[in-house]
Order: sequence, then C-alpha cells, then structure tokens
Amino acid sequence: MTFDLISNLSLGLAVALTLKNLWLCFLGCLIGTLIGVLPGVGPIATITMLLPITFGIDPVGALIMLAGIYYGAQYGGSTTAILVNIPGEATSVVTTLDGHQMAKQGRAGVALGIAAIGSFIAGCVATVIISALAAPLTAMALLFGPADYFALMVLGLMFAVVLARGSVPKAIAIILVGILLSTVGTDLESGEERLTFGWSEISDGLDVAVLAMGLFGFAEILRNLEVSQARDVVRAAIGNLLPNRKDFAQSAAPIARGTLIGSILGLLPGNGAVLGPFASYTIEKKLAADPNRFGRGAIEGVAGPESANNAGAQTAFIPLLALGIPPNAVMALMVGAMTIHGIVPGPQIMTKQPNLFWGMIASMWIGNLMLLVINLPLIGLWVRFLKVPYRLMFPAIILLCCIGIYSINNSPVEVLMTAGFGLFGYAVVKFGFEPAPLLLGFVLGRLMEEKLRQALVISRGSFMTFIDRPLSAGLLLLSLITIVLAVLPAIRKSREEVFQEAD
Amino acid sequence: MSQAPNRGPSKRSAIDIAGGLFLLAIAAIGYIGGFNLPVGHLSGIGSGLLPKTLAVLVAVFGILLILQGLFGPGPALERWAIRGPFFVLGAVVLFALTIRWGGLIIAGPLAVIVSSLGSNETRPTEVAIFAVTLTLLSGLLFKELLNLPIPFDPLGLIPSSLFKAYIGAKDGLAGLFAALKGAVTR
Repeated sequence: MTFDLISNLSLGLAVALTLKNLWLCFLGCLIGTLIGVLPGVGPIATITMLLPITFGIDPVGALIMLAGIYYGAQYGGSTTAILVNIPGEATSVVTTLDGHQMAKQGRAGVALGIAAIGSFIAGCVATVIISALAAPLTAMALLFGPADYFALMVLGLMFAVVLARGSVPKAIAIILVGILLSTVGTDLESGEERLTFGWSEISDGLDVAVLAMGLFGFAEILRNLEVSQARDVVRAAIGNLLPNRKDFAQSAAPIARGTLIGSILGLLPGNGAVLGPFASYTIEKKLAADPNRFGRGAIEGVAGPESANNAGAQTAFIPLLALGIPPNAVMALMVGAMTIHGIVPGPQIMTKQPNLFWGMIASMWIGNLMLLVINLPLIGLWVRFLKVPYRLMFPAIILLCCIGIYSINNSPVEVLMTAGFGLFGYAVVKFGFEPAPLLLGFVLGRLMEEKLRQALVISRGSFMTFIDRPLSAGLLLLSLITIVLAVLPAIRKSREEVFQEAD
Repeated sequence: MSQAPNRGPSKRSAIDIAGGLFLLAIAAIGYIGGFNLPVGHLSGIGSGLLPKTLAVLVAVFGILLILQGLFGPGPALERWAIRGPFFVLGAVVLFALTIRWGGLIIAGPLAVIVSSLGSNETRPTEVAIFAVTLTLLSGLLFKELLNLPIPFDPLGLIPSSLFKAYIGAKDGLAGLFAALKGAVTR
C-alpha cells in the first residue's frame, strides 16, 4: 500500500517533471493568477476564458495546465480579497474580513504571505490525501452499479441544496432547471431531438462552457456594473512579505486545523469545499483567546480559512477523478474541459491512463510550490494590475470571453448563445437564485439520466432496485435525511448563521 | 424590464413571486419543447419522460414560490439595470455577427467600444486607444502565439505596406518563437 503510493507518486513526478509539463504548469499558474486577480472574475470564468489556450497541447499537458489555471485563479481570488476587499468567489469571502483589515494596517504583505504559505502546506497535505485515497476509492467505484451512481448523484445534489445560500425551495428549483437544460439536444438512446425547437445548432446539446461563461462571466459583469466601481485598493505599503516568528506561531495551529477541515469538506459531493473557509473561520474565532481581534486584522482569520480553501479546492478532485462525479461547479467545468481533450473522467482513468492520472496529481503539488514561488515576488505587479480601473477592465474581459467562446468550436452561434445565457444568468440572480447549483445540476443531469435508464433496464422497470441495493438505499436515505435536516427550522437557522458570518 | 410594484417592507415578497413566474415560464418552454416526445414505460424510458417530469416539477416549485411570495413577507424585487445589459450583451452579439466576415480587426474594437458604453464612467478617447491596442495584442496572442483559427483580417483592411512591415518584424521574431517553442515541446 505505502509502496504503491510511493511508486505511483514517483511515476507521476516523472511525468510532471518533464521540462514541457513544468513549463505548462508554470504558465497555467501564472495566467490563472493573472486573470483570477481581476475583481469579479472567479475560477469558473477564468477557466472558461482560458480553455482555448490549452487546445494545441496533448491531454496530459493540457490537464496539468488547466489544473494550474485553477489553482492560480483560486490564489488570485485571495489576492483580490486581501488587497481590494472584493472576493472573487464564495470561498474567498472570509478572507476579506481579516485579510483586508491587515492590508489597511500596512500588513498586506504578511497577509498575502501567510495565505500563500498556508495554501502551500494545505496543498501538500491534500495531495498526499488524494494519492492515498484515489486507489481505494477507485476500487470502490467499480462496485457501484448504475442505481448506486444515481443515488450518489442525488446525494450530491441534496448537499448542493443545503450548501446553497437562500431558501431551500429556490435551491431545489434551480437545480431542476439545470437538469432540464441538460436534456436539451439529441437523446442518446432514441436519437430524437429534445427541446431543440428544430434548431440544429443545439442538437448536440448545450455546451457547458457556453452556459458557464454566460452565467458566471457575463452575468457577473452585469452585476458589477450596477454598483459603483470606486474600488478600495489598498494604499498603505504592502510591507514585509515574510511573516515574522510571532505570526508563524499564531498561524501554525490554524493552518493545521484549516487543512484538516478543508480536506474533509472538499471530499463531500455537492460543493462541500465552499464550507471549509467558513467553518475554519468560525472555529478559529471560537478557539481564540480574544475573539474580538477577529474582523480587525487577526492573522489566524487569514491563515485558517485560506488553508481550508486550498485543501478543499484540491480534495474536490477526488470525487471527479475516482468516481467521475464533479462535486461542484468548477469541477463540472473541468469535466467539460476534459471532454474536449477526449478524457472521460471516472474510475477507468487511473487504470487505463496512469500517466495522466498520477502526472496530474504530482503536478498539483508542483503547482502549489510554483504559486508560492511566482506569486510572492509578483505581488507588486498584481497591485498595479488591480489599479486598472474597472471601466477599462470589463470591456477587456468581454473581448477575452468572446474570443475564448468563439475558439472552442469556431462557432459565432455559441457566442450568441453565451450572450443569451448572460441575460438568463442576470435574471436568475435578480430573482434570488444562485447560478452555481444550476451548473452542477446541468452537468450531473446527463449522467443521472443515463444511470437512471441503465438501472431501470437492468431491473426491468422496477424502482425497487434503488431500495434493494444496500449501497443505493443507504445513499438515498442519507439524501432524505440531508434534505429533511435542511428544512428543519433549527438547522436552517444555523445554516444561515454560517453564511451570514461573512456578510 | 420588470419593476418592483412597491418598495420597502411589504407583506408580499415580489422577488419570490417574480421568481415563481420565471420558473413557470421555463417549465412551459420545457414542456412545450418535449411535448411530442414519447414518455415510454419504466423498463424502457422514452426520451420525453425526463424533460416532461422535470418541467412539471419546475412548475410545482414555481407555484410554491408564488404562493410563498403572496402570503409571506420578503424582499422586493431588485431594480433591473438596462444600460449595462443592453450594451454589454449587445457588444457580444455584435462580436458574434462580425467575427466571421470582418475578423478580429472589426469585431474586437466593436466589442470593446460598445461594451464600454455600458458604464457611465467611460472616456471616449481612452477607450478608442485601448480597443485598438487590445485587439492587436489579442491578435498576436491568439492568432500568432496560440495558432487558434480565429479570423483576423479577412477583408484585407490593413494596408499592405503595414502588413509587409509586420511580416518583416514577424520573421525577425519567428526565430525567437521557434526557440521558445523548441523549449516547450522538448
């Protein structure tokens, strides 16, 4: 077992450490951070925008680069959170609380430094966890029948409901809309066109990148244009980058706890990773000798959540790689990206393409190291970048998005559709829904229908198959418990509190 | 688009009612789109079962939300901006319509300038210079460096003298790129 782990990791390192793959990993991290630093551009929009630049590369290299873009975007989001007080995405909301306060006190450098160091440590631990869990989980995945897969995805969506902000009925409804969108296109079994209204352009179904760019890229810009763009870029000096001995002493335990919490939550289906930073912040505040320091520039409030964030971002790869089931919207997009490169995520990857699998895992660790090495010296550049006014930034983002979407299939129609989904996404947010569960429902929808049909064919049309199989029965029961708990008043209140912490 | 009938605290929740209507509209489109598809039977599910079931479920939640909004308090509908969405999405549409025949040299500045009208902080000269620079840079990046098949100047708008100068410069740079590429692919 341990021997396997080491031999697998060394195989991975051999793949990841080739000059070409190192370069791609570096480039991915750098460009990912560059785009991720832009305020209001989260990892989803970043990955969609940068997808075309991976097209000319072989699958292994492309995946390594995409993973690099993903970490880069994550870290870029934290940088923006600390320096401008604008969270790039839900998971860096917590970082704005103490991180931006530290920046105002002239300790931006230390905040960025500890975020990078904490993220690096968390990334190292998470990589080991992934390598250790991947093999047994993949073996387990082979025991899964279609009914069990279906039940597992139901559970994932239920978690997504619980973890979404806002009301439970709205979360369920928007997931259903996502699944409904996934049925658009030619039915795989009968070849009939569904919901296409005779429009041949969508007979292959909607593209996940088109949907994601509309919902997260364009709609976000529309939202940003509504609020005044006077940004609060830190004017104080960035200060020393390396935390001093006292900072380290204060941060060590929060980093360890954050890593543990984030790693575990990231494994959960249905975007458990988003909970990591919130949970870590709450715990650190409860454990602190003087909770009043929190919100006023406590370094623990940056170190813990940032570690949890990065650990979760990485362990979220496990459900995707081992089971082929994306646990959150970003991973849903990774499925789309992998499909473009001809890779079908799932348990077969590890056995059939060990190079790709272990190479990517090893590159995660290298990517984390690179982030540490390239980002700290480049902080001055990011600061200058952040000072570019939004009135220039958003037209540039629009152009990059247009080029990106066009390049995926060289299709102007897809650009038009993205504009349509931008308006749709704007409406979704205006009516108080969250777009992330929609995207998750969209990606899981196709898989779910396939597995549902397979399961019913095997059982000759009996729904009892979902209850007779202990695995699927257990998962469905767990889903039921999850959703019942979510609507219970007591739990609902504490769920709101967790999210309100940041507001 | 839609406006809140009344603002401030209210016994009804406009956002829930509007959200419910939104869901009903989606459900209707889904149901109509899947209307002629066979539902099949349980051991052989037809292509229409899932779209129709989902449409019905979405409609149920839509009605639920409307009822919740009618009888429970909640926030009013947020105001919809018109200017931002109109120009930003309009820019994207213009990009889609012009990229094939006009190439990036037309679609690029068009997208940047039109979308910039979505903000009231835009300064005309600044945006014009920015649009041209950005278009040339993205042409270099996507066309030359990444070899994406995006049309750049199919109409031949760039004067041939300028183009020749560029080719000359490019040949000079080509050696550098080749060296870089060699390092990448090794």
